[in-house]
Amino acid sequence: MKINIIKAYMLKEFKELFRSRLIVMVYLMPSMILLLFGYGIKLDVSHARILILDYDQSKYSLQLASKFEHTKYFNAKSLHVSEQEALRMIKQAKEDAILIIPASFEKNLLQGKKSEVGVFVDTSFPTRGATIEAYIQGTIISAVQEIAKSLGIVQTGLIQIDNRNLFNQAMRDENAIVPGLIGLVLLIAPAILAALLIVKEKERGTIFNFYASPLSRGEFLFAKLFPAFLLHSVNIFILLLLTLYVFDVPFRGSFFLYWFASELYILISISIGMLISIITSRQIVAVVLTLIITIIPGFLYSGMLMPISSMDGASKIEAHIFPVMYYNHIIYDTFLIGQGLASQKILLYLGILCLYIFILFAIGVKLLKKEMK
Amino acid sequence: MTTLEIRDVSVIYKKLAAVSHISLHVSKGEIIGFIGADGAGKSSLIHAIAGVIQFEGEILYSGHSYHSPQEAEAIKPIMGLMPQGIGLVLYDTLSVMEHLEFFADLRGLTKDEKFYAYRKKLLHMSGLSDFTDRLAGNLSGGMMQKLSLICTLLHRPKLLILDEPTTGVDPLSRLELWEILDNIRKEEGTIIIVSTAYMQEAAKMDRIFLFDEGNIIAQGTSRALLNSIASYTYIATQDTTKNAITFDKRTYSLENLNAEHTQPTLEGLFFINALKNNKTLAPVTIEQRQTEKNIPEIVMQAKGISKYFGSFVANDHINMTLKRGEILGLLGANGAGKTTFIKMLLGLYKIDDGELKLLGKSIKSAQDRMTLKGKIGYVSQHFALYNDMTVKENLIYFANMHKIPLQTAMQRINTYAKELGFDKHMNDLPKELPLGVNQRFSIAAALLHEPVVLFLDEPTSGVDTLARAQFWQILHKLKEKWGISILITTHYMSEAEYCDKVVLLKRGKKIADDTVENLYKNNPNAKTFEDIFLAYFKAES
Repeated sequence: MKINIIKAYMLKEFKELFRSRLIVMVYLMPSMILLLFGYGIKLDVSHARILILDYDQSKYSLQLASKFEHTKYFNAKSLHVSEQEALRMIKQAKEDAILIIPASFEKNLLQGKKSEVGVFVDTSFPTRGATIEAYIQGTIISAVQEIAKSLGIVQTGLIQIDNRNLFNQAMRDENAIVPGLIGLVLLIAPAILAALLIVKEKERGTIFNFYASPLSRGEFLFAKLFPAFLLHSVNIFILLLLTLYVFDVPFRGSFFLYWFASELYILISISIGMLISIITSRQIVAVVLTLIITIIPGFLYSGMLMPISSMDGASKIEAHIFPVMYYNHIIYDTFLIGQGLASQKILLYLGILCLYIFILFAIGVKLLKKEMK
Repeated sequence: MTTLEIRDVSVIYKKLAAVSHISLHVSKGEIIGFIGADGAGKSSLIHAIAGVIQFEGEILYSGHSYHSPQEAEAIKPIMGLMPQGIGLVLYDTLSVMEHLEFFADLRGLTKDEKFYAYRKKLLHMSGLSDFTDRLAGNLSGGMMQKLSLICTLLHRPKLLILDEPTTGVDPLSRLELWEILDNIRKEEGTIIIVSTAYMQEAAKMDRIFLFDEGNIIAQGTSRALLNSIASYTYIATQDTTKNAITFDKRTYSLENLNAEHTQPTLEGLFFINALKNNKTLAPVTIEQRQTEKNIPEIVMQAKGISKYFGSFVANDHINMTLKRGEILGLLGANGAGKTTFIKMLLGLYKIDDGELKLLGKSIKSAQDRMTLKGKIGYVSQHFALYNDMTVKENLIYFANMHKIPLQTAMQRINTYAKELGFDKHMNDLPKELPLGVNQRFSIAAALLHEPVVLFLDEPTSGVDTLARAQFWQILHKLKEKWGISILITTHYMSEAEYCDKVVLLKRGKKIADDTVENLYKNNPNAKTFEDIFLAYFKAES
């Protein structure tokens, strides 16, 4: 290794990065993505607008309706309008759901007869609709149980569900989304920087300095990619701080594991960028290609929007091809679970990340030619 | 004895032979030159020698033989390559000194007294001593080339390969570049290979190799080469057989002509070669134009026109007049402001200061130009052609843009195709055609609406000698038959000869403006236009 030459190249890289203001992008983009998406993605439902049509106006129907008030899940509103009118309001997106309590509600209840309540939910967004529906059902069941108890009616069900949520007890979106975003950001940003660093020289023509010099291909790649690696290593900490203090995500695992896995992951991202810069010759093409290759799998197969375990067939295979799945598993562990290296799976995944680096770099060194196309 | 030997080298580019079966031999301290047009194969051979492209055949440098870039790695430490393109190997955001540091480190030089002394000497030779803190992006084209050269020289290469180091560089900087090269080879015994598009530079080389279509068509000292065609060169005469080419006051013919012999030029070598291959310039005939035009005496008048890009002055109060039926050559190095000026004339750039009159009409707004669009023809630097449409489709498209009825348009297209000699290529795509053909059909596109003035931006750049000769013939015929005025920019100083009047720009300023005869009269010692311009450049700096 010609250490001095590599040092000279790296010094030049840093000077160029700072003077061309590219450094701003290196630090602004990852934090921006984290903040924008972290605030922007909402999967749980709160303050669903529910319209209650209480045709009974009895003690128990009011008790049921009141269950929808004073909760963060619903914004309840009782109106005396026709069902047609209520449906029109849901069509105009003024309400998310309608609850209809029939006139004979209390009478049937007291007589021990079956009583029906009507629930209409806007399910144009299926997950959101299903969530609202479940909330409504849960609220009704708990209200009815309370009523039954006060009436002294014997419970028919013997099993009561004692539900406890694990890892994300508060079921906060931030806890579920933001760590996954780190996996997305650290896949995109280092890849773009790495791709630009080599393609820039090709587009400009300065790549001839490498072609005509005694520098070997491995040394050139090292000199080019090491600055990208160093700069983005800082991002690992910036992103962690944002996650912990801006989004209040808990951190239950080992910091060292988070750091180590992230450095490995950055190396993978950088080698993806390197491969792209080897096959392209224009900066704009390199950037677009990098974005396509990293963002789509980074989102879909991160386990952020849907768990990998619920995928099947092609999507499951694809998820296993991209590195983001393995990294995110480790990241979620460090934030939410904290098993760390005690988990066999995490050890295996770390190994897979290492394997990625090795394979991508090997391909890169093989493909990079010290000659013109 | 360090020598370079090239044995039967071919470079295949996209299944076509860029150069085929070249063999040559260079000795220590020799400067050899590759001369030829773009695409003639100079760069391909240079890349092969520098070991940056795959090639067939064998190259031997002082006993070390290589057949591929991989094998050439061994000679990279003693080799220096400066590829084609102004400031190509420079980093815009690094200063002159930082470049020297970087290249020194890249070559693993030990920074001792000797290194600093050499670096100082190089900086002095290149005249960059006072600009060590300036960023490369802010250097002029000539300074960039000089910086690239000294960066390449820093490790004292024994084999120095320079691909068109002087193209687009001002005459003074070119002279200085050659002085540096001459010193280096004398002091270091370096083998220097230089390619150039300027014939005039041949005199500075020990031996020259003329490239045409991937082959070397002639080689030797410039004197020997000139002598070899002396017997074919005559003073321009009309009395010729079919196999003769007349250009630039000379007639070249393989057969004996009833005319006096004259001093040949190196360009003649390309003509003689063409004649030997039974090629001649296709005869150019231009018919009278269909519509009669009323042309004012003064076609274009610019008074104190200026253009600023931030703090950079691209055009500094330029005065210029273009008369009816005049060919005005706008000359200058890259970045002198030629293109900026034409773009202001066309309204592609806003005029920041000064007055412009076109065809007797004062131009104040875009509205003023609208009525003139039909009278102006323009060919841009890189020929604004659509590469995915055939020549014919391109021409029809341009005719439509000028709202010419299809029947008239087709008739004109067919006439021009015959007259300008591209009728064989009507159904080909521009990207598959040689630059010379594209150039001619770009002219046809600009002539479709029968303009009274033509603006041509570097139309001859990279075009081979024959095509250039033909091109100038076309322009002269157009002037003669149509009474058209032509403003043409070029960085080939020698092309000034073919103009009626010449304006010389240097870094946005006009430094000469006169007719060709007057320029010669005022500079009695000058042999060529190169010398005249050099005098102006020296007077300015």
